Amino acid sequence: MTPTLNKIEKSELINYSAKLRRRLFQMMASAKQGHPGSVLSMVDFVTYLFRSGRLHNFLPEYDRSERDKIIISKGHATMALYPILAELGFFSEDELHAYGMPGSLLKIFGNVEIPGIDATSGSLGHGIGIGAGYCIADRGNGASNNTFVVISEGEMYEGSIWEAALFASHQELENLWVILDRNSKIILGDTEDCVALNPVLEKWHAFGWASMECDGHDFEEIDSAFRALESRAGCPKIIICNTIKGKGIPLMEGKAEWHYWNPLSERDVREIENSLLEEIA
Amino acid sequence: MKSQRDVLIGELVRAAKLDEDIYFLSADFGAPALDEFRTSLPNQFLHLGISEQNMIDVAAGLSLAGKKVFVYAMGPFITLRCLEQIKCSLAMMELPVTIISVGLGLGYADAGPTHYLTEDYSALKGIVGLEILTPSSNDLVVEIANACVISPKLRILRLDRTPFDLVEFGNASNQLNQGFREYPAERQAARRVVLGSGYALDRAFRQLEARGLLEGLRFIDLFSNNFDPSLLKDALVSVDKIVVIDEQCGAHGLPSIVTEFLLERRLFLDVEICSLEPKYYFNNVGRDGLLDEGGMSVDKLCEKLF
Repeated sequence: MTPTLNKIEKSELINYSAKLRRRLFQMMASAKQGHPGSVLSMVDFVTYLFRSGRLHNFLPEYDRSERDKIIISKGHATMALYPILAELGFFSEDELHAYGMPGSLLKIFGNVEIPGIDATSGSLGHGIGIGAGYCIADRGNGASNNTFVVISEGEMYEGSIWEAALFASHQELENLWVILDRNSKIILGDTEDCVALNPVLEKWHAFGWASMECDGHDFEEIDSAFRALESRAGCPKIIICNTIKGKGIPLMEGKAEWHYWNPLSERDVREIENSLLEEIA
Repeated sequence: MKSQRDVLIGELVRAAKLDEDIYFLSADFGAPALDEFRTSLPNQFLHLGISEQNMIDVAAGLSLAGKKVFVYAMGPFITLRCLEQIKCSLAMMELPVTIISVGLGLGYADAGPTHYLTEDYSALKGIVGLEILTPSSNDLVVEIANACVISPKLRILRLDRTPFDLVEFGNASNQLNQGFREYPAERQAARRVVLGSGYALDRAFRQLEARGLLEGLRFIDLFSNNFDPSLLKDALVSVDKIVVIDEQCGAHGLPSIVTEFLLERRLFLDVEICSLEPKYYFNNVGRDGLLDEGGMSVDKLCEKLF
């Protein structure tokens, strides 16, 4: 793919992503809960979405009807957005410290009571349909806002995903973008071993979606995929981001068991924090 | 006589012509009145294909964006098939979507148990914040339609396939908020009450009327699970016996709601339940034949009443 980001932009994205990854680890380690494998695999493309200007008007002062929307359909990984939403002013940074604590605003699974969260999620398979509803409403209002839906690879086992895929294609919802976090893992192992999903790109293509595949940890490839699809009119879009579950923490990378938080010694936590710190320029 | 769905959709056509935020979604389910909606308001009508679950999710997105959304399909498929979507995509976000479920009880008698709706009430009443409405007259359908347009909230309308109209229960205009209607309107000394909703109540009323047994009976049409408990207590306080009729399997639907209410209010009345024996009905003998077979014949009702 042709590189489209300049060096400065790319290094900024890498640095932001490293900070975000470390912040998320600190939150999970503090609360001793979360879904690190799924959260860390999507950090890079979430960074790209928010920091590359893809999300228009995504600020607290804009009503949903005036801005883009983002739905984390893989609701167990919603916390990947929390530090970004705090930075954008949707809620106080103090809320990040209270993550997962009794009575706190920020839960493992996102819900619409949290400012900046556009759909309550947790049960898999609903996000694309909800996103399609947002797009139809925006179209009816004469607005060209985009709705981005992040789905997990395992969600493709849900029939409702394909009901929504058919519908969005028929409705030519060109402002609907799905980002598939393809980290190859579900709880019991590799997707291709459990129930094979391949060929994924071809499946979406057959459903009438403009589709691209990229390395979900390579900002140039992510950017190229977005650029390649943004001019495709009259159809919804999907970017299949090939990712690594637990990306950035060797102890967790590619390990199905790190779908959930597991106990870590204080020494392990310190070492991981330090190694993540080293990634920050 | 118009069917309940035609009455409802006719009202919605009128409202939607004045309010472009009204959206009507169908999972390949029609009605004569819907043809007018589709042709005159194509931008406010969405055909979802036979995909009730996705229809609920799309409705959630539209509702989150501020639209007034009505979703419409055959009863079994928009209820039991979609319970998860109703919970997660509508109830958990408290979205004011109106679900229109058609084919109450054994209404699709010729189709068999896949198309019967004899277990929905018990499942739906467990969904937090869901108002369940089972109208028994067309003027009540009109009142409900207006309420759904003017004051949207999460509701499910359990409409019958068979046209019927329990007009004897009087004008519905002031009765929506209390969630039940009474016959006769003026309470008399009758100490026996038949309590039900929808077609089952209409059928019981007609059958008892045909036998000349209305004298000494009162009827309560408990058309909403969101009834006013104080007013219902007032209506029942001088009663000795209630027979709860429900075109559902077992006692988990309306009878459960009534008995829970009586216990909470410490009204210790003699309660009998006249509902369907819990089983799947395959016999092709029509709705009334199936109701008789399932234990809801007029003779059974009279046994419980007298």
